Formats: sequence, C-alpha cells, structure tokens
Amino acid sequence: MPGTPPPRRRRPFRDNPVLVLAGILGLVAILAFTMTLANRSSQFAPDFLSEFVLYSLSVVDLTMLVALVFVLARSVIKMLVERRRGLPFARFRAKLVTALLGLTVVPAVLVLLVGSQIIFNSVDRWFNAPMDDILESAQRIASDYYHDRQRQVMDEAARIARVLGPADLGAADVRLVRDAVAPSVTGQILTLVEVYRVSGAPAGEARLIPVVDVASASVPALANRASSDRLAARALGGETGAWTREPLESGGELIRAAAAIRRPGGAVSGVVVATVHLTGELAARARRMTKAYESYTQLKVLKRPLTGVYLSFFLLVTLMILVSATWLGLYLAKRITRPVQLLAAAAREIGAGHFEHRVERETADEFGSLVDAFNTMTDELAESRRQVERSTIDLQAKHTEVEGRRRFTEAVLERVATGVITVDARGRIGTMNPAAQRLLGLGAEVIGQSARTVLGESDLQTLASLATMAFQPGREWPAQEISLVRDGREVQLAVAATPLPGERDAAGGRVLVLDDITPLIRAQKVAAWREVARRLAHEIKNPLTPIQLCAQRLQRQFASAPPETRTLVDECTATIVGEVESLKALVDEFSQFARMPAPRRVPTDLHQVLLGTLTLYDGLFQDVRIETLFAVSLPRIRLDGDQIRRVIINLIDNAIEAFNQHGQIVIETHHDPSASVVRILVADDGPGIPPEERDKLFMPYFSTKKRGSGLGLAIVRRIVAEHGGTIEVGSNQPRGTRFTIELPSQDRDMPPGAGAP
Amino acid sequence: MTSVRLLAIVLAAWAVDVASEGIQVSTVARDGRVYVSCALSADVLADVDQAIQSGLATSVTYEADLRRPVSVWFDRTLASSTVTAAVQRDTLTGRYQISRSVDGRLEDSRVTDDKTAMRHFVMAFDRLPLFPAADLEPNAEYYVRVRVRTRPRVTWFFWPWDRPTATGFARFTFIP
Repeated sequence: MPGTPPPRRRRPFRDNPVLVLAGILGLVAILAFTMTLANRSSQFAPDFLSEFVLYSLSVVDLTMLVALVFVLARSVIKMLVERRRGLPFARFRAKLVTALLGLTVVPAVLVLLVGSQIIFNSVDRWFNAPMDDILESAQRIASDYYHDRQRQVMDEAARIARVLGPADLGAADVRLVRDAVAPSVTGQILTLVEVYRVSGAPAGEARLIPVVDVASASVPALANRASSDRLAARALGGETGAWTREPLESGGELIRAAAAIRRPGGAVSGVVVATVHLTGELAARARRMTKAYESYTQLKVLKRPLTGVYLSFFLLVTLMILVSATWLGLYLAKRITRPVQLLAAAAREIGAGHFEHRVERETADEFGSLVDAFNTMTDELAESRRQVERSTIDLQAKHTEVEGRRRFTEAVLERVATGVITVDARGRIGTMNPAAQRLLGLGAEVIGQSARTVLGESDLQTLASLATMAFQPGREWPAQEISLVRDGREVQLAVAATPLPGERDAAGGRVLVLDDITPLIRAQKVAAWREVARRLAHEIKNPLTPIQLCAQRLQRQFASAPPETRTLVDECTATIVGEVESLKALVDEFSQFARMPAPRRVPTDLHQVLLGTLTLYDGLFQDVRIETLFAVSLPRIRLDGDQIRRVIINLIDNAIEAFNQHGQIVIETHHDPSASVVRILVADDGPGIPPEERDKLFMPYFSTKKRGSGLGLAIVRRIVAEHGGTIEVGSNQPRGTRFTIELPSQDRDMPPGAGAP
Repeated sequence: MTSVRLLAIVLAAWAVDVASEGIQVSTVARDGRVYVSCALSADVLADVDQAIQSGLATSVTYEADLRRPVSVWFDRTLASSTVTAAVQRDTLTGRYQISRSVDGRLEDSRVTDDKTAMRHFVMAFDRLPLFPAADLEPNAEYYVRVRVRTRPRVTWFFWPWDRPTATGFARFTFIP
C-alpha cells in the first residue's frame, strides 16, 4: 500500500548491541558469582555444599551442557543445510566456526582434565593419615575427659544415694541429709547436689519432692531446676545410670546424673541428682576439638560430593567458555557472511525478476556501502527493465500485426489459384504455395532447396532459365508465357518475376508468379472455333441449296438424253446431291456447336438419367456388354438431364466404335462428400488413346475416327464445363480408355462461360 | 494374549526378585490395616553409618507404595506412605538423637547411647500400620514396594533421577 511504511523487522539478538552487552554482563555476573561461591565454599556446611550447592551446580551444568549441545547441533544442521543448498559462504562459515571451536575446545578440555586431576589429588591430600590421627586423638581426649567427668558425677550420685539409704528423708530436720551431701560440694567434686524424697504410697502415683540442695558458690544462677526434676523422675522410673547434659548460655555446661536412694529393704525412698559444672572455657575447648573432628570426618564422608562440587565449578566455567566461544564463533561468522548472503539472495530475487527487492542496510561499514551500491544498481536495472518491457510491448504489437499479415498472406497463397514461388538471394526456394506445387507437379519438400536444382528438371528448364534471368540486375521482366507438360497434358503458364527488395538496397530474392492460363487459351481457341463454325455454317450453307437445286435441275434436263449420257448425269447429280446433304449435315452440326443452349439445371436423380440413357442400347449391339457399378446412395444434383444424356451417349458411342462393337463398357458412379463432387466413370476395354492425343481429344475438329466432325467430345466438355464440372481422360486397366466426369454435388456459382467451348 | 500376559508376569517377577536385594519387606493385613515391616541389610548402609558417626544429620527414608498388579500395563498404586528415620550423633558424648516420623508425623523420638539400638532403629521398622485395608478387594493379589533413600548423598554428581539405595517388595493376598 503506497504511503504505508513496511513493518519494522525485529532485530535479532545478535544484532542488538544492548542485548549482546546484557548477555556478556550476565555471563560475567554468573562467572563472578561462581568464583565467589567457590571461594566461600569452605565456610558452608558440608551437607549444604553436598546437597544445595551440588544440586544447583549440577542443574546449571546440565543446562549449560544442553545449551551447548543445542547450539552446536543447530549450527551443524544449519551449516549442512546451507552447504547442501549451496548458499554462499556456507563452507567459510563452517570453517570459521570449526576453527574457533577447535581453538577453544582443545585448551578448555585440557584445562578441565588437568584441573580435575589436581582437584582429585588435593582432596585426597586433605584426608591423609597424620591429620586423621591428630584430630581423632584430640577428639578422644575431649571425649575421655567428658566421660570421666560424667562417670565421676554418676559415681558420686550413686555414693550419696547409698549414704542416704538409711536416712529418713521425710523427717523435718534435714541437717543430717545436708551434712551427708555437703562434703562432695565443699570438696569441689560436685557443683550441685539435689535430694528428692518420694511422696505417696502407690508406686504408680509417687511424686518427687525436693528435700535439700547443696550448691557451691560457682553454680550458675540460671541452672535449670526442671532439668533436674526430669532426670530425677527418670531415675525414679527405674533407669539406672540416668544422666544428662545441659548447655548454659554462659558457655559452660552442666552434667547431671541421678541415682535412686534405696532403703535397706530395697524400696526407693528418694533420688539424688548430682551436678558438675564444666566451665565455659573447658566445655568450649572440648566442643571445639569435637567440632573440628566432626567437620573433618564429615568432610571425609562427603568427600565425593565435595569433589563433585569443585569439579562442577570447574565444569561450569569450562562450559561457559565453550558456550561463549561457540556463540562468538557463530556471531562472527554471521556478521561476516550475512551481508554477502543477503546480497546473494537479493541477486537471486533480481534474477527472478523481482526488481523491487532491496537489501536493508544493517551496518555503516564497507558492507553497508556495498549494499548501497547494490540497491543503486537494482534501481537502474529496474528502469532498464521498464524500458525493455515497453519496447517489448511495442514489438509484440508489431509482431502481432506482422503475424496477422503473414497469416493473411499464407491464407491467400494457400487458397489462390495462382502459383507463387519465392526465391531468396542465394537462389533457394523460400516458399511455394500449393497452387505452384500443383502446377509444377512438385511437393513441399523442395522448399529450402536450390531453385536451379529443383527447376533444372527437363520439363521445368524453361521456368529455370526464366528464374535465372530474373536475377539479372537492373532489368524488369514482363510476364511470359511458357508451356509445360504435366501428366501428358500441356499446361500453359503465364510467369512473372518480381524482385523482392532486400535490406539497405541489397539484392533480395525474387517472387515468381505462375498463372495457369490453359483454360483461358482453351476457351479462346474454342471461341475462335465457334466463330469459325458459325461463319463456316453461314458461308457454306447458303450456296448448298442452289447447288442441290441445280444438280436436280440438271438431272431433270438430262432425263431425255441418251442412256449413256443420262446415266452419267444421274450419277454425277446424285453424287452432288449426296455430298450437299452431307455438307448440310456437317453445317448443322457446326451450327449446333456454335449455338448450343445454356443448360437448364434442376435437381435430378443421376442414376435415373444414366439408366434411362442405357435403355437406348438394350438389344442394340449383341457383342457389347454395358455394366453399371453405381454408388449405394447418391444425392440429387442439379443438372440438365438431356445434356448429360447426350454426354453419356457420346462417350458410349465413341467406345462402341472404338472397340468395333465387340467389348465391354463399365459405368460407375461415386460420391465424394469431402470434395462435394459426384464422379461418373465411363470405361471401355478398347484399344485406348495414346497419351499425346488425349489433350487434343476435346478440341473441335479433332477426331481419331475416319468419319465424324470432331465436335462430339468438344461438345461433351462444354456441357460438363457449363455444369461446373470437369472431364478427364486416362487409361483404363488393364486396357482401354477411362473418362472421368466430376459434377458438383452442391450448388455453386459457376463462372459464366467457364470452360465452355 | 495369553502369551503376552505370561511374559508380563515373568518380567514382573524377575524385576521383583532382582530389585529385592538389600532389603526385606513383609506385610500383614489385619484389623483393617496393612502393617509393613522392613529390615535393611547391614552392607546397604555402610556409607550411611559413616555419615552417622561423623555427626552429620542423617536420614533414611522408606517410601512405601501399596500396589496392585495390572496385566500388560503399569501396576496401579493404591496408596503411598513415607517413613523417615533420622539420627544425629553427639560426637562428644557419643549419644544418638533418633526419631521416626510417618508421613511427616513424629511417631518416636529418643536419645540413646546404644549404637546397636540406633542401627536397629534406623535400619528397620516393625509392623507399622501404613495403609488402610478397607478398600482392598478380598482374595486379590497386592504387593508393597519399599524404596529406600538416604541423606546426605555421597555421590559425585547430583542426578535428579538417581536410583534408590534399596528397593524391596512383599506380595500378599488380602484375606479379610
């Protein structure tokens, strides 16, 4: 749509500097985060590293690996497709990307392998035997000390319980109890001693009631009484060696142990809970030693996942390098080859005729200038194309016009009765229309051959010499009449040669125009003969009657003469009268030939005319057999029955006379719808007619018989011609003569007097 | 059709027999409940034992599924339950804090100095009513599949689809 700007194409990621920069920054951020994580990994708990960090790194590594495989697979497939399509620079791109990948992959993989081995060795070195011994010994020291103090508290609790066994814990005076307990506290064996007595008879409902507690001055103020109560309850419940530890907020720790106080009879009368206070520093040191050992053993247990974490770090960096290198290689290859591919694609579009195609300028560098030059060239090509199209349209119009003229000329030449032959400047036949082929008895195969060769045949030499003379420069040759013999018939041709103008006044070819003037000449001859016959009849017939009368008068005058004289006179006068009668008959025929009436043509059944004619010969000649071979169906044609009957009678009479009343005559009829003619064939088995006499056969006063005027076949031809038909004579097989009459089966306008003798 | 079904049964039996190594599972359906007992082999938890002794918070999770075999198709899971045994050792005192939860519900928690008791507590449980039997079809074949997973992992690389530490099966015919 004019005026509407094309939708702006979204720029791909690789051509967007902001996105590219953001991508690079993202990768750098991931790299920095990874490095920071690796540096601080020692501060993380081992299980955190082995679970969360390893999980995260594994996911990232798998993602990067999938991304790398995807990018590589996509690139490989694209490159294969481009190479198969034969796109420009496909091989160059493949080589460039392969080189960049090779330059990156090899060192990256090498570094990964070496680094992995270093990590394995380093991890193995962390957990060596001396370190195991040191940490285990330290932990054992702390543990042993702890257990000693624990056992000491338990032993002391048990001792106090034994001491208090006989005592009455329920008495109001608790001094005895306090005195029994106090030495343990004052002797700094214990920090706190708490004594409970059991209240309530049923054992299931017994309650512990604090009786006395003796504490040293160093006992922490926040010592939890409830802890002692729970421990005492456990001891009351029958648990022997019950103890507990209670961390303090101050950093120290209380170790408590409980022992049941049993009377001499074995009944539980109370519980002693002994407590020792481990100072903060002591407990902390013990804890630190234990913690160090725990961390060490935990690291040792998690050796494989921790190694996996560091390997994953390394693998992540390697994959980032590979992905970046792959992408960078593809990016560089694309940046280099894309403009050329665009130009190649645009060239294909231009080649396909899409001159409106333009290449978008994407960069301001040399490729941009190249794109501008290409677009300028495309504009000029489009303008030239428009000019060519306009010229083509003009040419097509002219060609159409010329083609129309050519078709018109060809149609005229195809249909015209005049023969036309064109001979080019080199003397070769260019065209020869069907009329010329028919007149000269040649086929279309002569077109393209030398006119001298084709026309050099014996009977065409006259035409050849005329054609040769027509090429003589500076002369115009008027039409000339030549006579050729075709199929034993003499053909009269009027030949005119006209020069064809060549380009730039160069000598062109010639056009030979052949007019068959045989019918014209024949008509002229017939007209002349008719005039002769008319005059002859007029000049001869007039004196015949006086001659006849005079001869009869002489006969009457010499009727009384002597016998010898009278006999002589009678013979002479009889001869004169007889010859005069013959002359009269001859003159009548001449008159009839000269004044033959025009046919009255009406639709007639030809077979009836023929059968009616043949009945005249029934039983007339014993040795003459007339056979009919009529067509099954024959259309009614317009003809003058009397004249056609005369034609048939003439032909049959000639045949009977030719084979001397001993022979066979065959009369056939045929209908040729394609030519719209009806043919009548009259054939005999007589001696036949020599070919050289056949053409003269239809001329007036030509006869092969000893008697006759020679007008019979001339009249036959005239009748047939006035019916618009033709008559030909030829040889019959195996012997005899065959006359072929063609009459039009449809009404046609006959040229006035055409062919009429 | 018969041959396909027979092949499926053979394959299922083979899979059960092969995967049942390292753990013994037994079931009892009674009083409207399906009781499940499990016992892990000692060698299965060698890595876990090291983790426990190092003081790491360690857990053994038993993922139990009540399933019904289906011919020529995947077996149908009717119910699932998770039993988690957690343990942490105090290296200084040598005591173990152990606990057991079923489907996130704390069932038992105690402190012990006895390593054997701790190992038995972690590696086995006895007759826990994990599934209701009310919806089971009488005289039908069922089986309980138990998959054991341990924490922390001690593998080189985290793989989301790692195999369970052990898998066991116990077939039973439900007779109410």
